[in-house]
Amino acid sequence: MRRPAQAILLLLAGLGLLHASLWTDLCLRYVKEGMRPLLVASGALLLLLGAAEAWSSFRRRTPEGRDGQDHGDEHGHEHGHDHGHEHGHDHGHGHDHAGVPRVAWLLLLPVLSLLLYAPPALGSYTASRAAPETVSRQEHFDPLPSTSPLPLTLTDFTRRVQQDRGQAIRGRTVRMTGFVTPVRRGGGAGWYLTRIVISCCAADARSVRVRVYGAAAPPADTWVTVTGTWHPGGRLGTSSAPVAVDAHSVVKAPRPVNAYTDALPLPTTR
Amino acid sequence: MQETHERVEEAGAEAVAAAPADDAPGRERARSWLLVALAAVVLLDLALFVGRGWLEEPAVRAWRTVCLAVTVQAMPFLLLGTALSGAINAFVPTRVFQRLLPRRAVLAVPVAGVAGVVLPGCECASVPVANSLIARGVTPAAAFAFLLSAPAVNPVVLTATAVAFPGSPAMVAARLLASLATAAVMGWLWLWLGRPQWLRPAVRHTGHRPGHSRLREFRDGFQHDFLHAGGFLVVGAMAAATFNVAVPQSVLETFSGSPWLSVLFLAALAVVLAVCSEADAFVAASLSGFSPVARLAFLVVGPMVDVKLIALQAGTFGRAFAVRFSAATAVVAVVCSVLIGGVLL
Repeated sequence: MRRPAQAILLLLAGLGLLHASLWTDLCLRYVKEGMRPLLVASGALLLLLGAAEAWSSFRRRTPEGRDGQDHGDEHGHEHGHDHGHEHGHDHGHGHDHAGVPRVAWLLLLPVLSLLLYAPPALGSYTASRAAPETVSRQEHFDPLPSTSPLPLTLTDFTRRVQQDRGQAIRGRTVRMTGFVTPVRRGGGAGWYLTRIVISCCAADARSVRVRVYGAAAPPADTWVTVTGTWHPGGRLGTSSAPVAVDAHSVVKAPRPVNAYTDALPLPTTR
Repeated sequence: MQETHERVEEAGAEAVAAAPADDAPGRERARSWLLVALAAVVLLDLALFVGRGWLEEPAVRAWRTVCLAVTVQAMPFLLLGTALSGAINAFVPTRVFQRLLPRRAVLAVPVAGVAGVVLPGCECASVPVANSLIARGVTPAAAFAFLLSAPAVNPVVLTATAVAFPGSPAMVAARLLASLATAAVMGWLWLWLGRPQWLRPAVRHTGHRPGHSRLREFRDGFQHDFLHAGGFLVVGAMAAATFNVAVPQSVLETFSGSPWLSVLFLAALAVVLAVCSEADAFVAASLSGFSPVARLAFLVVGPMVDVKLIALQAGTFGRAFAVRFSAATAVVAVVCSVLIGGVLL
């Protein structure tokens, strides 16, 4: 890979990272919010590196920058020999070690993908296959606030249903937001209200889900807010209780910017 | 249709490229540009004519997301590692390492393993750093101990492990001990069986040479290492995304029953999933059907051997090395985690 090409690749990579982290929220489809400052810094660093490389390539092309061995021809991009030689290795190994191997071109794929054709956040396809999030044990449960409908996260709902011996959730109307994942064929009635949570990047996605009965399934991957009551079964407060609701209403909700968290539903404006 | 068209184009361009063949590098350059142009044409064709529907398949979309996620997530750490390796190359004189590490290689190995604590990052950062350490005169065995232990024993990763396994500090201790043990054993194994000819000579890292600007040397090394390792990172991310999307959850459940198989299975899963070492504890915690020892194996093998890392090592040290070293490391890591996990967990 020649020097000007390296400069272009570095500049593009820097732009791609800045585009994903500074000017847009694209990076939240792939990594956690906490990574954002690191990505901005990386993007800036790559831009600097690319600019420095472009500057020194340009300097070398102008006559005063030339160092003698150079036979630049009239085509701008066809100039000279790979300059890695001159300052990298003049102690003779036969071939060009300073030239970056072609495999570096592969970096262009994620960079262009970020800039032009960014894939969406993970959705129902992954949720139906990802490992279920282990809901950690909680010993002590505070009394539930008296607001109705009660906003809850999917994790909190799971805990209240399967761990709270006080059964505070019984008879309460709850409200939760997530996206729609269809139940596998032959899996019975209803559908899943789902969230995907990640701890580092989208490669370690796990899903939290609550089964919804009593409402027709919206199309997969639609974000909805479900209001409903616990779907009775088993013994409430033990793992025999189904994590499910009987829906009273299902309303479309905007897709949250930071989708990989199990957050409370946004207050509705109705 | 499309194919014949391109073949004709290729043949035509080949002839054009061959015409001004007075200097070989010129021709080679023209050919590499041609390759790039061809690849771009093919990719665009795919995207526009065939691919639109195909690229939007749920599985392919998930693959693209995971692949990009692994790359984006690793990028800052790769930059940190390559910047550090460039700085070691340009600014740190060889005698510093000679003074810091014990003269005898047998003792240098465990010291280097423990020194891994200071590199707060995941595994992508440690490969270029280890490479520049070797070039600066550190014995390869010690550099490899550092390479293996650094991503697993640093405070960031240990904290993440403690958070993922609340109420079982034994898991943190077991991970620390098993990782250090594996790193030391692999270092000694290299002293005993390793051959220098398996390593590609690290010509790039010549250190600072008189008459050259240190800053310029730093920038050159940094840039070269980053572009080089970045390309291999993308290869690894693609492999990891493929396994991530292709391994169905039901496979996990079939293996969780048998204690021995489950250890081997989770070790293999750590290799193919290539989860970053800062996150793998959370993944291990979610594999609740498996025994603690199997999950420990996942945590010990993951930061030391995975598809992304094998690609990076193959690019940095050469394929002959990467294959032997990764295979041996996987075996040693499984044995160490079974032994230490058996005692502690």
